[in-house]
Amino acid sequence: MTARRALRLANKDNVATSLEDIESGAVVLVRLGKDSEEITAREEIPFGFKIAVTDVPREAPVIKYGEPIGVASQDIKKGQMVHVHNIAGARGRGDLNERE
Amino acid sequence: MKESEMKFLGYPRPDGSAGIRNYVLVLPGGFFAAKICDTVAGTRTIVTADNGSGRTSADRETIGRTLIGLGSNPNVASVIVHSQSPGAGYPELKPSHLAEEIARSGKWVEFIDNVQEGGTFRALEKGIQTARKMVLEASRIRRQPFDLSRLALGVKCGHSDTTSGIAGNPVIGNLFDRLVEAGGTAFFGETTEIIGAEHILARRGINQEVAEKILQVAADTEKMAKLTGEDIRTINPVPSNIAGGISTLEEKSLGAIHKAGSSPIQGVLSYGERPPGKGLYFVDNWMNSASIFAGYAAAGAQLVIFQLGGGGLSGEDLLYTSSAVVSPLMWTTANPRTLAMAPTSLDFYSGRVIEGKETIEEAGEKLLQTVLEIASGTLTRVETLRYINPTQLYLREPCF
Repeated sequence: MTARRALRLANKDNVATSLEDIESGAVVLVRLGKDSEEITAREEIPFGFKIAVTDVPREAPVIKYGEPIGVASQDIKKGQMVHVHNIAGARGRGDLNERE
Repeated sequence: MKESEMKFLGYPRPDGSAGIRNYVLVLPGGFFAAKICDTVAGTRTIVTADNGSGRTSADRETIGRTLIGLGSNPNVASVIVHSQSPGAGYPELKPSHLAEEIARSGKWVEFIDNVQEGGTFRALEKGIQTARKMVLEASRIRRQPFDLSRLALGVKCGHSDTTSGIAGNPVIGNLFDRLVEAGGTAFFGETTEIIGAEHILARRGINQEVAEKILQVAADTEKMAKLTGEDIRTINPVPSNIAGGISTLEEKSLGAIHKAGSSPIQGVLSYGERPPGKGLYFVDNWMNSASIFAGYAAAGAQLVIFQLGGGGLSGEDLLYTSSAVVSPLMWTTANPRTLAMAPTSLDFYSGRVIEGKETIEEAGEKLLQTVLEIASGTLTRVETLRYINPTQLYLREPCF
């Protein structure tokens, strides 16, 4: 099977975006500019969704575009999908308002 | 593209601007305007429930500014202003005031006082005959070549998915860089969708004041969002964003700002506010299609762009048909699946960047070519349909 493709956008990023549907167990070629590395998908990652390229511990920032896009709401393993089930936004969190 | 090729065929206007369309506009909306438009070819009006009645002065000012801006848009050859509107008694919306302000553009403006004409139906005869004269006169104007510097574009990114941030928006950004480089004007906005990326935009303000204003509008919007007591992720990113792979507002914002290219930001404008000069402007507006495009048109944009992700949409092939009242709406996408879903609704495809077959630069040049064609008269897909969605003006204050 040829490697599936994913794209990292900045050096600091700990997630990559899949450029095609990725099956669980597939080898994923993660490109960053001219560099690339191979990782193994631990689960299915649909086209356009994110795959962790390093382990991300709970409460650690998730980085894409070289900037924080939120924090891990649980431990995330390299190769897992990263989405609303395991990251939380840090901005506009009216639900976290302190009760007066 | 050579500078000599970066021209479009537009309609010359008395103030030196160039229309890419040639409409007669009837303002404000309502029965009177609608019946004139039903009868007379080449006319336009705004369809909205925002008539100003029971609104604060700030909101009435926004409505007035939008109507005046639409009338002053280069795509409008001439304007009929009438008095039949529930908000007409307020100073900001007084029909004679709207007519006078629009007339500053030097174009032909007629004011019809419906009461003085003996009521709506008697006034309608005058309105129809005036509009007929106006479209006839407008049809005598010939398109002539104009430099790209005469063009103003507005952009919204919507139903964004992860192709938007990687390719769709960067290609729009490349177009904006080319436009600004050529001396044109570009508008982007959607204040909620810079939250998490505002620090990056602020660095691009032409001075400290602009930088602070960018941070301020983002902070104000986040503060209002928090007052709802809700996690903004349950509101925006919208469900189709999440279904398309976007996980948080910050991720959406960091992708969204790519549509602004890399030019310096000249200033922060309010909804419908005309810019004091050329270049790239941030508009403090709301992302909703029903609202944002009319605001850009009122600011002077002759063409507006909807950059669509669409990965989270469920197979709808007819995309939103809102025009910006007087400015055509064109659709772009970088998502190959979106193109397959809605091929007859899309005007431009930048997904060859995703497929690895084209660079952002190459796609940007092709997009500029498409924009110049549309500016010269080629219809957008939206323009082939008669239906125009109602406009919801961006009114920020409580109503009474």
